[in-house]
Amino acid sequence: MGTISLRKAGKQYGAVEIIKDLDLEIADGEFVVIVGPSGCGKSTLLRMIAGLEQTTSGQILIDGRDVTLASPVERKLAMVFQSYALYPHMTVRQNMGFGLKLAKLSTGTIKAKVDAAADTLKLTPLLDRYPKELSGGQRQRVAIGRAIVREPVGFLFDEPLSNLDAALRVDMRLEIAKLHRTLGATMIYVTHDQVEAMTLADRIVVLKDGRVMQQGTPHELYEKPANLFVAQFIGSPKMNVLPCKRNGDGLLDLSGEGIMELSLTGNAAPLQIGARPEHLSLVAPESGHCRGTVEANEYLGGTTSVFVRNPKLGLINVSAPADSAFRIGETVGIQIDSSRSSLFDHSGAAIARTSVF
Amino acid sequence: MNTQRAPSSEFRLLATPLVIFLLVFLGFPAIVNLIYSISDVSFETLRRPKITGLSNFVAVWNDSAFWQATWFSLRFGALTALLECGLGLILAIFLSPLIEKRSWLMAILMLPLMVAPALVGLMYRLVLHEFAGPVPYYLWAWFGASLSFLGPTSAFWTLIVVETLQWTPFALLLFYMAYRAIPTEVVEASAMDGARRWSLLWYIELPLMAPTIAVALLIRFIDGFRVFDNVYVLTGSGPGGSTASLSIYIYEAFFKQGAIGKAVAASVILFVVSFAVLYGLNVIASRRKGVLK
Repeated sequence: MGTISLRKAGKQYGAVEIIKDLDLEIADGEFVVIVGPSGCGKSTLLRMIAGLEQTTSGQILIDGRDVTLASPVERKLAMVFQSYALYPHMTVRQNMGFGLKLAKLSTGTIKAKVDAAADTLKLTPLLDRYPKELSGGQRQRVAIGRAIVREPVGFLFDEPLSNLDAALRVDMRLEIAKLHRTLGATMIYVTHDQVEAMTLADRIVVLKDGRVMQQGTPHELYEKPANLFVAQFIGSPKMNVLPCKRNGDGLLDLSGEGIMELSLTGNAAPLQIGARPEHLSLVAPESGHCRGTVEANEYLGGTTSVFVRNPKLGLINVSAPADSAFRIGETVGIQIDSSRSSLFDHSGAAIARTSVF
Repeated sequence: MNTQRAPSSEFRLLATPLVIFLLVFLGFPAIVNLIYSISDVSFETLRRPKITGLSNFVAVWNDSAFWQATWFSLRFGALTALLECGLGLILAIFLSPLIEKRSWLMAILMLPLMVAPALVGLMYRLVLHEFAGPVPYYLWAWFGASLSFLGPTSAFWTLIVVETLQWTPFALLLFYMAYRAIPTEVVEASAMDGARRWSLLWYIELPLMAPTIAVALLIRFIDGFRVFDNVYVLTGSGPGGSTASLSIYIYEAFFKQGAIGKAVAASVILFVVSFAVLYGLNVIASRRKGVLK
């Protein structure tokens, strides 16, 4: 079992509120990724769940048991730190077996468990080495191994891949995903890297200033962002946000640069339309919803990012086929896939759209 | 770009001043020392030492005062080093949260290190003086009895306490630094693994501070072993030579008895033994380093 619930959990340092009345229910075996810009409180939240940081208000429950005031070890969670935090004076074997040794397990049991975990993580040949003799990726695997041997009810990862180089990060990401499938344990993973969030998560929780902006599957967050913040935070390259207005016919007026035939229900008054670069296409200047001049091309291999400047709408990033060639200064038209764009009101909240044509 | 070492002729030229300096100020006295140690020499015959072979060494070897002084220095060095490091460690760990918030406390704790050891000796000589000292006075006034602090039975322990009080802050400073340098995440990881206060100290903090502890013990032992000034000022070498350290023995042989050959022979023995000990420690340390790398 490994359900983790936060009930109006809060964290204050003096007058500063880091986490505000946060509610979160994590099911057994779920992989939840907490993501947000730096300073949003995501690491604090993880450390509150771990018991390394005191929760100043509300409750934290693990498997229905109130652990708000329990010590880290009583919560039966394991944590993998960004800096690996291996014990430098212990061998890999001792590092992995330390928790079991403190739990007063017999030497034979410890050896068996460490060997099994080392086997899963391909660490067996390294068991007698010291952390200094390992590469970054190996150290990270030892840190994960140290977490596994204790058979915790849940795993907490605090930006575990940010100290690794790009290629290794992809490998370790796959390994963590595989580990989640094999162990089926609850995992909470904190990162600022939205690629990690999108690829690993069953559910993503987007945090800003200690509040949950939105939670849902990667697909939900990508396709139906609840607000402007999530829309721009999730997805790379970033979503284009263009100013707009509802006109007298109930259609969408792109700041006088074009009209989009979107049916707007009730008295919805969108002020911004969000469209991802891949949902825009470049067309002849006379067609399309708006036009502009090409300012730059970025060849990315698979696609080319074309940056188009419109005096009123700003710089618009359009994802075009890789082999398309646009001259700088050329005038082009932009076609917006209205079925996949999002509308936001004055507060930045998304406007629900019933029908689209 | 030429990153190769300079040709050896230039290298030699550049090293010459240093080599000359070392030869004049270390090499020459060392050779004179060696010659004196095997000669019959006094202040009158400093320029015409008469080589007599190893008789000085035999004299030192057969001198019970030499062995008494050696035993004093060993005991004094070992006990003060252990006490200072033990106290320093406890204080460093207990005071660490306090010092972290109020760093000026460290300056106050370091004050004893600012006092010259000879002055410390003089100060305690006054404070503990059997007739004039305030400590015996109040002990008499309140308890009707007082230890004879500088008497034959307690002089050694008085010296130990005086030395420990002065040098514990040194150990405290080193250990505080080492304690603060333990990575927070490692401590937190051990908390997740179930370490409580004592297991944290025993399995994580002390092993990580071990290199510093070893260095502090060594430095304090060397300093205690060769002790001269505060002991000489506080008790002389008395009572009855019971508090003569090896340094005091050499000094007294040289200046008071004029037995230059004997004093120098003792210093040569001291040099050879210290060299052997330090070399041995170095070998052990480099082996350990080979393991930990």
